[in-house]
Amino acid sequence: MKATWYGHPSRRPLKIFASDPMAGRTSGNRVTIEINDEPLRPGPSGERLEVIDYDGAHRRFYKPVDLDERAILIQNGLDPSESDPRFHQQMVYAVAMKTLENFDNALGRPLSMKRHGRKLRLFPHALHGANAFYDPEIHAVLFGYFRADRTNPGPNLPGGNIFTCLSHDIIVHEMTHAIVHRLRRHFLEPSNRDVIAFHEGFADIVALLQHFSFTELLRDEIQKTRSDIRLPNHLVQMARQFGFATGTGQELRSALDKDPDPKLYNTVIEPHRRGSIMVAAVFDAFFNIYLRRIRDLIRIATGGTGELPAGDLHPDLVRRIADEASSTAQTLLTMCIRAFDYLPPVDITFGDYLRALVTADYELFPEDKLRRRSAMIEGFRLRGIYPANINSLAEEALLWEVPEGIPALPVNDRKIINWIVRSTEKVSRQAGRARKTTTNRYEESPEDTLAEETMLSKDALFFALGAWADANAPKLHLDRTRPLQVAGVHTVYRVAPDGSLLIELVAQFAQQNRDKVESLGGLPMRGGTTVVASLDGTVRYVVAKPLPSPRISRDKQKEAARREEEQMAYVATLDGRDVQLPYMSTKDMLERMRLRMNFASLHGGF
Amino acid sequence: MATKRKTPPATKASSSRKTSNSTRMTTGNGTATMKNGISVRMYDVGFGDCFLVTIPTSNGDRRILFDCGSVAKGRKDMDTVVDTLIRDVGGPDEARIDVVVCTHRHKDHVAGFSRKEWANVDVGEVWMPWTESDEPEAIRIREAQARLALSLDAHLQRQAALAATPADRERYESAREFTLNATGNETAMETLHEGFKGRTDILRRFLPEKDKDGKILDTLKTDLLPGVTIHVFGPSRDERAIRDMDPPAGKTYMQFAVSTEEGSNAPDPFSRDWWVRNHKTVSETDKVHIARFSDGFSTVVAGSLDSAVNGTSLMLLLQFRDKYLFFPGDSQWGTWNAAMENNKFYELMKRVQFYKVGHHGSHNATPIQFVEKTIRNQIVCMASTRSMKNWPHIPLTKLMDNLAKRGAVVRSDQPPARSDVFLVGDGIIDTFIPL
Repeated sequence: MKATWYGHPSRRPLKIFASDPMAGRTSGNRVTIEINDEPLRPGPSGERLEVIDYDGAHRRFYKPVDLDERAILIQNGLDPSESDPRFHQQMVYAVAMKTLENFDNALGRPLSMKRHGRKLRLFPHALHGANAFYDPEIHAVLFGYFRADRTNPGPNLPGGNIFTCLSHDIIVHEMTHAIVHRLRRHFLEPSNRDVIAFHEGFADIVALLQHFSFTELLRDEIQKTRSDIRLPNHLVQMARQFGFATGTGQELRSALDKDPDPKLYNTVIEPHRRGSIMVAAVFDAFFNIYLRRIRDLIRIATGGTGELPAGDLHPDLVRRIADEASSTAQTLLTMCIRAFDYLPPVDITFGDYLRALVTADYELFPEDKLRRRSAMIEGFRLRGIYPANINSLAEEALLWEVPEGIPALPVNDRKIINWIVRSTEKVSRQAGRARKTTTNRYEESPEDTLAEETMLSKDALFFALGAWADANAPKLHLDRTRPLQVAGVHTVYRVAPDGSLLIELVAQFAQQNRDKVESLGGLPMRGGTTVVASLDGTVRYVVAKPLPSPRISRDKQKEAARREEEQMAYVATLDGRDVQLPYMSTKDMLERMRLRMNFASLHGGF
Repeated sequence: MATKRKTPPATKASSSRKTSNSTRMTTGNGTATMKNGISVRMYDVGFGDCFLVTIPTSNGDRRILFDCGSVAKGRKDMDTVVDTLIRDVGGPDEARIDVVVCTHRHKDHVAGFSRKEWANVDVGEVWMPWTESDEPEAIRIREAQARLALSLDAHLQRQAALAATPADRERYESAREFTLNATGNETAMETLHEGFKGRTDILRRFLPEKDKDGKILDTLKTDLLPGVTIHVFGPSRDERAIRDMDPPAGKTYMQFAVSTEEGSNAPDPFSRDWWVRNHKTVSETDKVHIARFSDGFSTVVAGSLDSAVNGTSLMLLLQFRDKYLFFPGDSQWGTWNAAMENNKFYELMKRVQFYKVGHHGSHNATPIQFVEKTIRNQIVCMASTRSMKNWPHIPLTKLMDNLAKRGAVVRSDQPPARSDVFLVGDGIIDTFIPL
């Protein structure tokens, strides 16, 4: 069959509910979003995700939608409907893919979501209950449904059905958990107070910013919201109006409303509440950047007086403001996701994330012309989030360590060159359509790469990198006497606004110490280093989380000792608060930290 | 310290309301006399609490009863214990307890009060947590807890009956231990609220009380206990603590309550037209895995309910002259935290000489900090507990050992063969704090 070459991959428009129907009907509740086109089987089932409508409460399947059916295609998908399960499947697929695309674009490479050879599955009506979560055990996102309370239904029909799979923000939130888990497996291990909070906060940030990138929606909302568009409250009110729903929606909204309180970061433990501190910091930055961008519009609209007229705003002005808000949201979302490549492999803290944000952004835009970085730093600072081991919040101090005297990565090794070339293929547009390649189109997760049939170049690559890391262990703050795992390696492609192409190699090395597993409630202490290098192999940044070891520098030893103390203290803190603890069996007691990390109970509000 | 003298067993305790400074109490093995000391008697109720404190005040001996309940019996059943208790306080004819304290309304703390015999016991005052009062907030919390307990119990019963495997059935049955602890206590609570000999003439206090300006009173003195100051450490009335008393997060719990009222069947989200046969492979393991989530985490909710009721528990420090006796009930992290953050309370905690081990010796009812850092003196501890098949970590051995290092500790189900500190009787263990 002759391959037809269409040039750009086409886009597939699909209708979704823009506002969470759980928050009630609002007019203009529909939005059409566009995602990359791919051949779809009924489900819908694509190459990376598949939607399976299996209902675990009733043990039955519902009819799957065929989005490639002509009648559905030409109408941009089915019309939003609560009673047609096929629309639910469509919406889940559309929003999940949109989220994935945001990550693909920001990270500069398409991610495979396969785990042990299985695609990521989404079950829109998996369970009966007011809950939705990503389950790493079966590598699936499960959505629940339930009936509105008869006496206190809120804006819903009393006793009516409510579907979590129809909430845009919930879908994005859960997908983000799945994607973060793919990027950093160890971020599910609660080794400090910020780890789970980071998972939750980051998922909320992605949901919030992705929602704000719907320009059409914003236009309506800006006009409707009565408060002054120049006040932070305005954006907050908009978020409320779309019924922004998070793991526990209440917390987020109140986090956005209150004045920043640096004491909270030291006292709050509960992951959602803690995560919302980080969300509020990013939201602050979002608001400040947006404000700067609409300033000239206001000047023009008011002739310099700054006095906006009472009543409705001019529709042109509204459109321009909406555009500014949505493009700010999109840019910020990209910035927030991009930071991932600059994160350590384990034991994340909010401070680490701030440093990663600053470093990643600096790499692309050395001059902070748009003052994005300063807005972020300020947002974090106001909430008392300070990275460890630095002595100032000036940008230079926040950049990750630039190592001295470290030899370049062994990129001249032919195997590595082969691998780089192959991975370039994956990102290029020609690869997908025009010819079949033997290599998978997407960048796999490290476990899957090793599990699949060996592509010799990648195996050899891991070996070469491992040898290099071993040889340079002290400078990388790794412990040579412990086994070293190459936890991941990939190339990153980014284009700066001035058109220059930035290509980087990112490698993650991980180690663990199981000596104190019992006192850590079943978890090892983990350490590791992320290395970011330019294409010629020059190491640009070293992001280290050292394990305690006499073989590293004195400073790093102190850091490591402190990390260990904090991990133990955290276990004790959780123990003190755990209502289940006294009643645990001995087996569960030994594994209790592992047991505590599961999204199912976290999202169920327990 | 107490001396053990062998005399023929006495049959009746003297109720001394007169001026004597000594108390005679019967034990199974003989009579012990104590001059100028506070005595604490722990009754062996099994898994539950029942402590009788006798204080030699200037107006004679005064008695305070802390709880009387059980969910799993000790060597004697509850009826026998209540009979013994009433006899110890002068019954059946002249039974008198000056203050009855109900720390919280769990069966293992109140079950004993359902006996009719209490109608003949003269009581001076009854103290309960503020969540037992008529304040709207208190009513709200009580009702929320009660509703959840009932609907959850019904749900667990159903789930146990329908369980696919014995292991699953076991899980549901053991979760019912929590719900049953919170239900069926009506008769007992009636006694506490309206019963005993003086009936509604008896003063009931809901602690901590507030003064007429609404300020919370953290100490309590009463003419019934001259020379005694009660420090009320908990339950706190602040927002965070109240959140802990609310059964699991609003929406989820509501959903749960609703669905069980309607028969706990999941609603059919779509009409039959949409149902199809298997069109996709989902492995059986995955199907079972997914199906499990539909029960709304009832077992986890049950644990949270238990904790919510424990959160209402009174935490009292009894001070008489220079002696401090600490009764935390079943208070958990929230109450402890609030108390330890209060400088005044923390200072008082340092002086504790007697400690009733919280929540039958479970891990987080006695913070490590309290044991390792706060206590200054040698302390005497009593834990009213027994081993329960499903709960190997109550009481927590490490905790008991830690407490033993700081003085002396005894478990009601493991009385020592010999002890300088504890006097063992038939179903009772006594200790004396000399003044």
